[in-house]
Amino acid sequence: MLTTPYVTSYLSEHFAHDDFGTLKGYERRGGYQAAREALTRMSPEEVVQRVKDSGLQGRGGAGFGTGLKWSFMPRETEKPKYLVCNADESEPGSFKDRILMERGAHQLLEGILIAAWATGAEKTFLYVRGEYAWPASQLERAIAEAYAKGYLGPKVMGTRFRHDVVLMRGAGAYICGEETGLLESLEGKKGQPRKKPPFPAQVGAFGMPSTVNNVETFCHVPHILSKGVEWFRGFGTEKSPGTTLFGVSGHAVRPGLYELPLGTPLDEIVFEHARGVPHGRKVKGVIPGGMSMPILPAGELDVRMANEFLRERKTMLGTGGIMVMDETTCMVRVACIITYFFRDESCGQCTQCREGTGWLNKIMSRIERGAGLPADLDVLLDVAGKMEGQTICAFADAAAWPVQGLLRHFRADFEAHLREQKCPFPESFEL
Amino acid sequence: MPKIRIDGREIEVPAGRTLLQAIDDLGLLMNGVEIPHYCWHPKLSIDGSCRLCQVEIEGTPKLQIACNTPVQDGMVVHTQSERVRAAREGVMELLLINHPLDCPICDQAGECKLQDYAYDYGLTQSRSREPRRALKKNVDLGPTIVFDQERCILCRRCVRFCEEVTGTGELRVFGRGDRSVVDIWPGVPLDNPYSMNVADMCPVGALTTKDFRFKIRVWFLEEVPGVCTGCANGCNVYLGVANNKVYRYTPRRNDAVNQTWICDAGRLSYRRIGAADRQRSALVRGELGVPEPASFERALAEAASRLRRLVEVKGPGVIAGVASAHATNEDLYTFRRFLLALGAGESGVAVPRGDSDALLVKEEKAANAEGARVLGFGPARAVLERLRAGGVEALVVLGSDLLGERGLEDLSPLDRLDTLVVLAAHQSDLQRVAHVVFPTRHAAEKQGTLTSHAGRVQRVVPAVEPAFEAHAEGDVLHRLGAALGLPGFEGSYDPRAVFRALVREVPAFAGLDEGALGDQGAPLAAPAERPKASRASPGARA
Repeated sequence: MLTTPYVTSYLSEHFAHDDFGTLKGYERRGGYQAAREALTRMSPEEVVQRVKDSGLQGRGGAGFGTGLKWSFMPRETEKPKYLVCNADESEPGSFKDRILMERGAHQLLEGILIAAWATGAEKTFLYVRGEYAWPASQLERAIAEAYAKGYLGPKVMGTRFRHDVVLMRGAGAYICGEETGLLESLEGKKGQPRKKPPFPAQVGAFGMPSTVNNVETFCHVPHILSKGVEWFRGFGTEKSPGTTLFGVSGHAVRPGLYELPLGTPLDEIVFEHARGVPHGRKVKGVIPGGMSMPILPAGELDVRMANEFLRERKTMLGTGGIMVMDETTCMVRVACIITYFFRDESCGQCTQCREGTGWLNKIMSRIERGAGLPADLDVLLDVAGKMEGQTICAFADAAAWPVQGLLRHFRADFEAHLREQKCPFPESFEL
Repeated sequence: MPKIRIDGREIEVPAGRTLLQAIDDLGLLMNGVEIPHYCWHPKLSIDGSCRLCQVEIEGTPKLQIACNTPVQDGMVVHTQSERVRAAREGVMELLLINHPLDCPICDQAGECKLQDYAYDYGLTQSRSREPRRALKKNVDLGPTIVFDQERCILCRRCVRFCEEVTGTGELRVFGRGDRSVVDIWPGVPLDNPYSMNVADMCPVGALTTKDFRFKIRVWFLEEVPGVCTGCANGCNVYLGVANNKVYRYTPRRNDAVNQTWICDAGRLSYRRIGAADRQRSALVRGELGVPEPASFERALAEAASRLRRLVEVKGPGVIAGVASAHATNEDLYTFRRFLLALGAGESGVAVPRGDSDALLVKEEKAANAEGARVLGFGPARAVLERLRAGGVEALVVLGSDLLGERGLEDLSPLDRLDTLVVLAAHQSDLQRVAHVVFPTRHAAEKQGTLTSHAGRVQRVVPAVEPAFEAHAEGDVLHRLGAALGLPGFEGSYDPRAVFRALVREVPAFAGLDEGALGDQGAPLAAPAERPKASRASPGARA
């Protein structure tokens, strides 16, 4: 089992040590000092401002400013306010949150405590992906330790601040990783994203003002508070500061996690850190940020891994899940898998998503079967275009972008299928 | 009130509403402002899933769904731009790739929103080469509704209706993605007193009522606005008329009365119009002592001579009247005048009763019980008591509710009568002991007004013509009054003139204007606002 990233930085520095996951081990390495500092010496507004100044972007995929998100929580309200930790890590290609929970549960809890103080939340719901049994058990153990030590409960660290953490296991739907789909699932309903307005900061979990953050996002916060904004901004780029855990999978010699500053060039990650493609083959394409992000062809791997650069290549950082594909890969098969996934996981509310995901998958499967029609490629692009930006949540976009990316960079693969009326990549992985 | 500019037209809209709600509030939706929609329904929660109502709002990069976008002062909205059109076309194409397109055998054809919007925004040729979803057909959801899963576009109106309006929750969306289907839980049918509303709300032919399906193509129907007569609520309906026959009632929106709903019992009460037990001929008791068919004129002459003789021999005080809560205000006002002019004794109204609920269904099972009360008819109890005591020699009865639950237990008190005149649209045991029977008209066959339990005066117009000679109660009584030479019964019966007299003479009706009643009706004057009547009883001598 992978216990520590191949390349570490501040988040994963101590992951090699088993006791880092325990309260004792975490505190010995300076844990919970940032939370104590925040709760006893800083006002919530100061904490929000500090996180704003740090430029920390949410690590769940959308890259929204964390401090700004926290500032949306109403200050004057009679209602209880909630934090929600999105630990439903379900983006194919992404496996960073898992290790952050398995190896550094208290780091996450400390981040949650600080965020709770900053937003005035009295309770955090930790929504953990159903399949993550081991990470959930580690969190449960850490939560129990924190309660026993008085770091959670009615008087956090002896202050008058109350905070509770409730862990809830998901049941295995991708869409429950979407902020409001998660909230519905958390409330015991079918996981279907909510229309906005109202936004979660007004009406969130159980109708109360809520802020939803990704696991990794919380984990950065103690470091920002204890080491300072300047230090944090020393990592990454001007617009995308800090590190992230890049997860490399697919045709890589050394797949795994790499904690590197944002802005690290993709080819450096793939060829230096992950040591390139096995069997002396060449790279054909790389998905830079989890399956919903458009693919990049071999010639564009010089891009720096931060949204401001990736957007120029019409893709995004997403969750930093890097999927490497070698030259034997049939991109139509890739498209089949991706469209099947999104067809299967669409919640089915919005017309474009419910119908569009199915249609894209049916066409892709037909092309791969050798029954493609000349008009198919135009229809694919047109349908993907009609799905984009028109639905309740970003799922339909996430389903449309990979198709657009594959057709943008690997149209030749599709045309070969149409021309030969069969799959011309016999060595590609099997469906 | 915020001002918005929509397609270049500046309108003031109610604050705190979403765009679609505000436009609907103003009565402009699909009536000046064209924003097609499926999942949005004015009386259900906002779903926001069909995505057809997307509009362009200046300053907002993405298109926004009009159903869930709050109105803001200064908002500039485009509902007909190229981008909007393209988005609608996209939605329509996607909705149609799995729809069976079986319009020729679909009962919804002609009143189908999928059909309508496909004409507006659809492609003439589908680009899909994939097999369509194969789902359940002809599903028996319960006692009233049949479901075609393939035609369903998953707008979830029916699901929300059963959750939010009836609270019964029989329908759900099961599965997800393109395997999503509406269905019932195993073994739990769609069975509630309002179940058939789901067929009205269903924008496509997925949910149809067992009662109406395959009876007639809807484009042959003329939808005549009317009022349901099943109970005192006065739900507004359309009468679906063709071939001089009413094929169905469908709810007609009236936010002050029935929203957009109607109960199943009320919906099916259209069957009373063309029922087999209609009184189809006038009757006069013959020599054998049983009523025999007679011409209307003969019945009129018989009733007049019997009443005239009684008045001469015993005085008019032995004549009593029982009004019907099914009759119109005009009928009842004429009856009131008739009894007063005659100098008759007791009178009252018999009101049938039954179950009620908190939504629409009222205990009084007739459309005009309140109207009868306002026009001075007390409970029929007084008449019954005097009848049982033998103080009544002649009885003029409208309808047959006299025999109802709180009425007569048996016909024996009627046997003793010298004269029993019955005016009824349907047959009953009364006819067996009557001396003269006049067939009358159902509310769907006449002009007039009905007063709901809440005091709302609503108009009915003739939607069909009876296939036999029948006249409104007011008309029969007017002719009878004329035959008796009563003052104020000259000329012929004109319900419009009677309404004007009502407005003049009955304080509760003061200020009402027939034209202003429109299709939505108008409330009676509140008791405090009614002018002081110079006469204690309404219209003592018109």
